[in-house]
Amino acid sequence: MSAFSPGEAATPAAVARVERARLARPNGWWGMAIFVATEATLFGTILGTYYFLRFNNLHWPPPGVPEPKLTLPLVLTAILVSTSVPVQLAVSAAARGQLARGRAALLFAAVLQAGYLGMQLHLFVHDAHEFPPSGSAYSSIYFTMLGAHHLHVFLGILLILWILLRTASGLTNYRMNGLRATAFYWHFVNVLALCVLGTQLSPLA
Amino acid sequence: MRVSARYLDPEFLQWFGLFGAGLTWTVQLVVGFGVTLARCGAANAVLGVDVKAWELTLMVVGIALALLAESAALSVLWQTRDVDYSDPPPEGRRHFFAVAASIGNLLFLVIIVLSGTGAILHEPCHPA
Amino acid sequence: MTTTVTEPGLRRVERLERIWVEPRGLLGWLTTTDHKRIGLLYFFTTLAFFGAGGIEALLMRTQLSQPEEKVLSPETYNQLMTMHGVTMIFLFVIPMAIGAFGNYLVPLMIGARDMAFPRLNALSFWLFLASGLFMYASVFMHAAPNAGWFDYVPLALKQYSPGRNIDFYALGLIFNGISSTAAALNFIVTIFKLRAPGMSINRMPLFCFAMLAVSLSLIFALPSLTIDLVYLELQRNLGFHFFDVTQGGDPLLWQHLFWLFGHPEVYIIILPAFGIATSIIPTFSKRKMIAFPLVALAELLVAFIGFGVWAHHMFATGLPTITLVFFAAASMMVVIPSTIQVFAWTVTVALGRPEFRAPLMFIGGFIVFFVLGGLSGIMFAAIPFDQATTDTYFVVAHFHFIIFGAAVFPILGGMFYWFPKVTGRLYHEGAAKLSFWLTFVGTALTFFPMHIVGLLGMTRRVYTYPSSLGWDAYNLSETIGAFILTAGLLLIFANLAYSRFRGAPAGPDPFFGGTLEWATTSPPPSFNFPVIPTVRSAYPNWDVEDRRADAARLERGELVLDEGHETPASTVVDAVPDEIVEMPGESPWPLAVAVCTGLLFVMLLTRHYAVAGVFAGLALLAVAVWNAKEPQEQ
Repeated sequence: MSAFSPGEAATPAAVARVERARLARPNGWWGMAIFVATEATLFGTILGTYYFLRFNNLHWPPPGVPEPKLTLPLVLTAILVSTSVPVQLAVSAAARGQLARGRAALLFAAVLQAGYLGMQLHLFVHDAHEFPPSGSAYSSIYFTMLGAHHLHVFLGILLILWILLRTASGLTNYRMNGLRATAFYWHFVNVLALCVLGTQLSPLA
Repeated sequence: MRVSARYLDPEFLQWFGLFGAGLTWTVQLVVGFGVTLARCGAANAVLGVDVKAWELTLMVVGIALALLAESAALSVLWQTRDVDYSDPPPEGRRHFFAVAASIGNLLFLVIIVLSGTGAILHEPCHPA
Repeated sequence: MTTTVTEPGLRRVERLERIWVEPRGLLGWLTTTDHKRIGLLYFFTTLAFFGAGGIEALLMRTQLSQPEEKVLSPETYNQLMTMHGVTMIFLFVIPMAIGAFGNYLVPLMIGARDMAFPRLNALSFWLFLASGLFMYASVFMHAAPNAGWFDYVPLALKQYSPGRNIDFYALGLIFNGISSTAAALNFIVTIFKLRAPGMSINRMPLFCFAMLAVSLSLIFALPSLTIDLVYLELQRNLGFHFFDVTQGGDPLLWQHLFWLFGHPEVYIIILPAFGIATSIIPTFSKRKMIAFPLVALAELLVAFIGFGVWAHHMFATGLPTITLVFFAAASMMVVIPSTIQVFAWTVTVALGRPEFRAPLMFIGGFIVFFVLGGLSGIMFAAIPFDQATTDTYFVVAHFHFIIFGAAVFPILGGMFYWFPKVTGRLYHEGAAKLSFWLTFVGTALTFFPMHIVGLLGMTRRVYTYPSSLGWDAYNLSETIGAFILTAGLLLIFANLAYSRFRGAPAGPDPFFGGTLEWATTSPPPSFNFPVIPTVRSAYPNWDVEDRRADAARLERGELVLDEGHETPASTVVDAVPDEIVEMPGESPWPLAVAVCTGLLFVMLLTRHYAVAGVFAGLALLAVAVWNAKEPQEQ
């Protein structure tokens, strides 16, 4: 039986050897996969609520509520979704032992994601003044859906910042697993962004 | 019809046999249920949902996929007929999954047929 | 079976003992990450909640024993009725089955040294305890939830429930859900990755299949409840509109989301019972389970199909027939996997050489109640019948036969079955058999008349009834039955408590069980197994050669892993050995995170949202410190 102990791997080169030797995905990856499954289900119920309420209402959005904006959400979402590329590049760089390159890619992604979040929060507050959630079922589900997604983006940025902090003192197998888990989380958040955007814009169809 | 060798690989057949019919039923339920809500909700005045067409399509496609999954399961079951369920992998494990899948798929097939028939034959929107 | 261990082997065991030791005393319990200790913490905590739920039940039964009784006011009755349901489901039966039985047994049965995420395991317990204390605080404030355990809107909205009762309910269950989600995640990764070399999925114990089904169900069902409760709190406290028709909402939205969780929840309740039954039956029938692959499938299938039947709880709400047919169809077929299991269980006993000791007797009682409760359940799949009996005592009868008769009986049987493993002592067999009969008769007498009185028209959740309706005798017998049942339960716990200190020594394997927990000492050492077992069949403890091979490997130092705090991980499907995982030892951070989370929820309840944010930040900080301490550094 192969008895290799990844716990001792404490340099990028050692971690790279572990990555090549491993047969199955690490426990931490599976943990994140299950967490993503539960969060995906949560968003499934939120999106399901949107369509349930929509089918129950003749006018959607209701009279007095503006139709959703098209261009800005589309552009912002495109930027967010594109950060999956630097995040994944960070993982493959670190897995090959190129820690510095990986950290640079992560930082780049985090800057874009923070910019996205800032803009979205500004839009969120603006919309909440225009058609407050206490006005209709449409606005209630609109703000709940977007708020839940923005919260997940915020947590994702915190995860990247944490990984950057931890890898400042080097790469261990444990931190590599954390990086893989963070990347998985971000790919999920980005797919979610597309689903949320599609739902948000669906009245325009 | 020439089937790509990838789809005849026992591993693929094993997994498709195990999950295919269940996932098919899931789609039929979620979409089929959603379509009835759309048809019987206030928004139907705008959406104009043809519920019978949707339900018929879902049922027919569902039956086809469930039958394919069952054939996959039976094929793996036949290939591993001399093996016991607790034998070493991969044959033992494939046999185990195939036994389970060949029964489970029949269940899903019946649910798909019953649901589809009911959704097509009842007149929309009378309360139960 | 025991084998003599020579010098090199003993030295390795001593090293393992030194590596895996945890602090003694209170500090040890507060910082433990050992799945066995966490299992015991869950066991005693859930028993306390069982007691509370039982007292609530006895108070209700006393009130209902006679017509027009005045023991309890309607308002008190509503709180008792709601808390009884919430307590028994969320604070007793599920945490007992998963947190106590699952936690203690799963790592042992798969040949691992602990769960995949030991600190997360501790967090699950502390969050569970905190959520239970949070909800019971409402009882002491005379503001317990009072709108039934499914808390329908519009009754639960601010307009009709202005007090804090419903906020305790909503926030308490969101809080409880975090604990269950964490536990489920831990079980799935443990079952996938930490199985002993050679334990491919087809050789995994049926108890573990049940735990896998339970955990997957929790992962996919809890979000629906969580979001429903979030909507409720947003509507109650921030004026959102999800459930009121005038602003475009729909009260049925609550019901859809609740039952989308609620039906899988009832399979979550029964699946561990299936797992316990499929552990006890082969041992006491002295043969392998008949149709093992079908039983394993049935456990997963009933959970999966159970996600598609939810609206059978809504057959009387006026939904269109074309919507409801999906659920009637699936509800009719969901009974088939359970039927397969009942056949497998009874045929296994019939074809074996059964020894009717207390654990098997409780399983016998389980099968009786499960079949009867299942029959009344399948009747509800017929929409017209359901519409006639909805919200009557016929439903109450059905679910108590299942939840008490079928979910709790295996828990009681399992307590006897694994008592020797956990304590190293044997229980008193005669007293155990007597307690079975008391409990069985009490259960039958309490819940069977409910079928009849339900068909005679007695509705659920009523705090009293007039004497002119012919329900009196049934209600009185139900109350008498409840007290007989209580006597049976008290005898069970007296037996276990006494035997804990005075029982005969049990040895590692008093019942000749086939699964790996019986291959180690009673109680197991902190590291579970001196050498990680290798597995070549579905009943590894009945493979004498394999277990002798284990002892030989202990001498050679192969798969002993005595260099550190370690357990092996393997591939998901075929359990090919892969890497050695460093396990964390004791840690104070799970308790710290749970305390911060508890304070967060208290602030949400009292609507101090800014302070709530501070506690959320502190909880995240505690998680960060926890994560910063990597296992290999400990």
